[in-house]
Amino acid sequence: MKLFIRYLNLMVVTIFILLLFSFILPFLFPGDLLTNISGISPQSNEQRIALEQVYKLDQSIFHQFAFYIESLLDGNWGVSTSDQSNLLHELLLAFPATLELVAYALLIAVVIGIPVGFLSGLKNHNPLDFSVVTFSIVGYSFPVVWLALIFITIFCLQFQWLPISGRIDLLFDVPTETGFILIDIARSGISNKADAYLDALHHLILPTASVAIVTTALFIRFTRRSIMDVMEKDYIIAAKSRGFTQRQIFFKHGLKNALLPILPLLVLQISTLITNVMIIETIFSWPGIGRWLIQAIYQQDYPAIRIGMLVVSLCVMALTITIEFITRAMNPARERAESATV
Amino acid sequence: MALLDIKNLTLYIDTGSTTVKALEKVNLQLNEGEIRALVGESGSGKSLAVRCIIGAIPDYWSIKADRITYQGQDLLNMSYEQRRQIMRREIAVVFQEPTSSLDPSVTVGEQLEESIPPEFIDKGWFWQQNRQRKKIAISLIHRVGIKEHEQYLNAYPHEIPKDISQKLMIAMALASEPKILIADDSTRGMESTTKSQILRLLDKLNKTKNLAILFVSHDLLAITSVAHTMTVLYCGQTVESGKVKSLLRRPLHPYTKALLDSAPSFQLSLPTKSPLATLKGTIPTLQHLPAGCRLGPRCPNARKECVQTPVPRAIQEHTYSCHFPLHVPEGIAKRAPRVSKGLGAND
Amino acid sequence: MQRFNLYQEEYHPSPLINIWLEFRRSHIALAGFVLLVVFLVITLLAPLIAPFDPYLQNTNAILLPPAWEPNGTVAHLLGTDSLGRDIFSRLVYGCRTTFGSSLLIVAISVFIGVGLGALAGVLSGLRSSVVNHLLDSIMSIPTLLIAIVMVAILGTGLGNAMMAITLALIPQFVHQTRTFVRNELQKDYVLLDRLDGASSVRIFIHSILPGMVELIVVQATIALSIAIIDISALGFLNLAAQDPLIELGLSLSQGLEVAYVAPWLIILPGLCIFLMVLSVNVVGEGLRSALRTRLHH
Repeated sequence: MKLFIRYLNLMVVTIFILLLFSFILPFLFPGDLLTNISGISPQSNEQRIALEQVYKLDQSIFHQFAFYIESLLDGNWGVSTSDQSNLLHELLLAFPATLELVAYALLIAVVIGIPVGFLSGLKNHNPLDFSVVTFSIVGYSFPVVWLALIFITIFCLQFQWLPISGRIDLLFDVPTETGFILIDIARSGISNKADAYLDALHHLILPTASVAIVTTALFIRFTRRSIMDVMEKDYIIAAKSRGFTQRQIFFKHGLKNALLPILPLLVLQISTLITNVMIIETIFSWPGIGRWLIQAIYQQDYPAIRIGMLVVSLCVMALTITIEFITRAMNPARERAESATV
Repeated sequence: MALLDIKNLTLYIDTGSTTVKALEKVNLQLNEGEIRALVGESGSGKSLAVRCIIGAIPDYWSIKADRITYQGQDLLNMSYEQRRQIMRREIAVVFQEPTSSLDPSVTVGEQLEESIPPEFIDKGWFWQQNRQRKKIAISLIHRVGIKEHEQYLNAYPHEIPKDISQKLMIAMALASEPKILIADDSTRGMESTTKSQILRLLDKLNKTKNLAILFVSHDLLAITSVAHTMTVLYCGQTVESGKVKSLLRRPLHPYTKALLDSAPSFQLSLPTKSPLATLKGTIPTLQHLPAGCRLGPRCPNARKECVQTPVPRAIQEHTYSCHFPLHVPEGIAKRAPRVSKGLGAND
Repeated sequence: MQRFNLYQEEYHPSPLINIWLEFRRSHIALAGFVLLVVFLVITLLAPLIAPFDPYLQNTNAILLPPAWEPNGTVAHLLGTDSLGRDIFSRLVYGCRTTFGSSLLIVAISVFIGVGLGALAGVLSGLRSSVVNHLLDSIMSIPTLLIAIVMVAILGTGLGNAMMAITLALIPQFVHQTRTFVRNELQKDYVLLDRLDGASSVRIFIHSILPGMVELIVVQATIALSIAIIDISALGFLNLAAQDPLIELGLSLSQGLEVAYVAPWLIILPGLCIFLMVLSVNVVGEGLRSALRTRLHH
């Protein structure tokens, strides 16, 4: 319980710091302060004064901060300087697209990466292990950008098997419900669902693969090293001396003790994953937050950057802190909180 | 027939640059109901010998032996599965550090229940089986002398004091009702009260359940109070072996004598302020093992012949490996029967 | 203290040499090391290695394929780009920018990170654990995000991108140093130093730092690989190095426009980045294995 309070505390403090930081950002951005905050560049002096009143620029900093928090909670997130579109709306559209890529890539990495890492670490020093290690090192050395570009060159330009951009062919008119394309297809009433699925999958494969390969390689590396370390520990030798089978030893003692120390490391990889997804979105024109933010920066759309940064870092932070809390709670030896070395 | 019979066990360790004979021609025998002490200073290879017996050796070690048998079954060449079964039921090991021999993420009670062989649990619904497991676990704990079982069964290994931990390890070892218990320096670093508790427990187990115990240690005092027979190991070679009483009364090997002399309580007539008796020098490192009798460089009795490895000879169940044993006139020493390859050390 | 050798033939190398010997035994690690040295040489001696001026435009030789293709010439070994500039020279200079800036990033991160971490390690109590937790949270912000914010505030440019990545890498070193220092401070050899009257700074430099060097080196290789990937990714997004600066990531995005006709324009720069990161990672793995084996024996 004390642990929970501590982490809750941490979460609150971090949220506050992030809010503070995003509040300060418009003051740091170059250009007109008012435009940076509101997204609207005032055309006349009266408009300027009116806007200043709305955004409480005539009052003290504390009032401004309070107003900022208030408007965030209200859902009034401002408008973009480039096309005056509602930021909240844009974000809500873009977010699920990014989440989709992140979720699928993470799923692949966990479902494939962790078991393969275990297998390879247990059967040490045989050809399978060697090829897994090679794949792993090559995999996580690959720059995501280059991998994506190679995929495009081979699969899109050379063989024309897969499409380069977007989530689904414009011919399919799939209404956006959840924002997750596969679910939306399922729930929509369009006639040729099978074709729609196929098309969506075609669009999904390359972006997901580009990110998933690198992340899976990293997961393999971590789990392999961890299980190798655990297998040499004294209590495993003691368990062997009591005559348990390899399988018993692994599942009852090896698994938990190998996973617990690397969970924080794996969680750290999520932020790398998000960076990679954001880059991939740009390359594949995938309509997610990454592409949105990078467009924003090209167009110097400061309100968008500010809100985008806030949302993404809040989500990442919340996820990280939650998983760390769960890890610590599940670990009986929690006083000796040491994270594994790579 | 001996329960455990080891003859001329040699252990080769590949240290990357050379191959070292960490153990050379070690002989050990354990009979039913016998408590044998395996004695030697740190670095003499006692733990290595234990690991050879239980088979927990890494890949870069290799073993050669005339015989390592358990109840006649050849341990060296049997399949992994057969050996596992023997380790599961017949032989139990208690290691040195109780806390690190336990999985830190699982409660001690669970690990204890895990050690109970499934053959002991009657068929039934799994909650019935669980209940029975718990009951057996509690009775095991009581048997080793821990009274408050509730408190300890639900605790994690790092929350339990070391002496209770060690008793728990013994309880876990007993769960499978083994014939042999190997205690690898189990009382190391313990306070004397705890030490004597554990020793008394082992003694009791030996007498009531006819449990054979191989007690590995360098604590002479503790061992000689409990053990029946003793094997002295120096630097990977068996140096002397036989009944504890006869070794204490008349040690035949200079090393045994030095060992006994170095424990002050064995010397009744120590003058005050006299230096303690030790052998000069230190135990040689693995890279610089002397040829022949490894005690050679340090032995006060050493002579030219000692570069030949001495052959084990026996006088009345008292085996020694020395060219110039103490208390034995040279003539008799040369005519004492060698311990031949076919027979056991105690014949 | 008397120094005498009990065994004359015995050769006890120092830990550093030990690691090197162990490292040398893995052929792959050695190969990686050689590759790394090649990149280092390229970084330092780029002007001497590049056959052409990388900025020289030659309208007569636009989009020439590499020498082994039918239309290529040996003069331009790896072909030319859409402005007739020699690819090989541009790659050499690009490697210099990418590798050089990454090295600089890591050097600064290590310096600041270890310093801050040591400070945090010495300060005990609530303050430092608060700092620790905050650090952990900051560590989890995606690098790209930090870079975007920095670029938004300060504008695009290699220097600003480098600053952003340095900022993102510092927390790792702080965390590691802090944990290490806190653990070591409780050990007896530090106590002995203190009883001898050593000041905190002296204890740190002479007693703790040597033990920490290996860990820092390993962490630095990881940081180097991250830095290379990040700076090239940012370069690709046009947020870091800008024209006319030559950088591998930037070359990738420039080549994208003509990728259909001249695929080597995106394959080659990417290959360089890949080999750079691969060599760093292989060396890093080798070091880690060597460290582990040494600790085992």
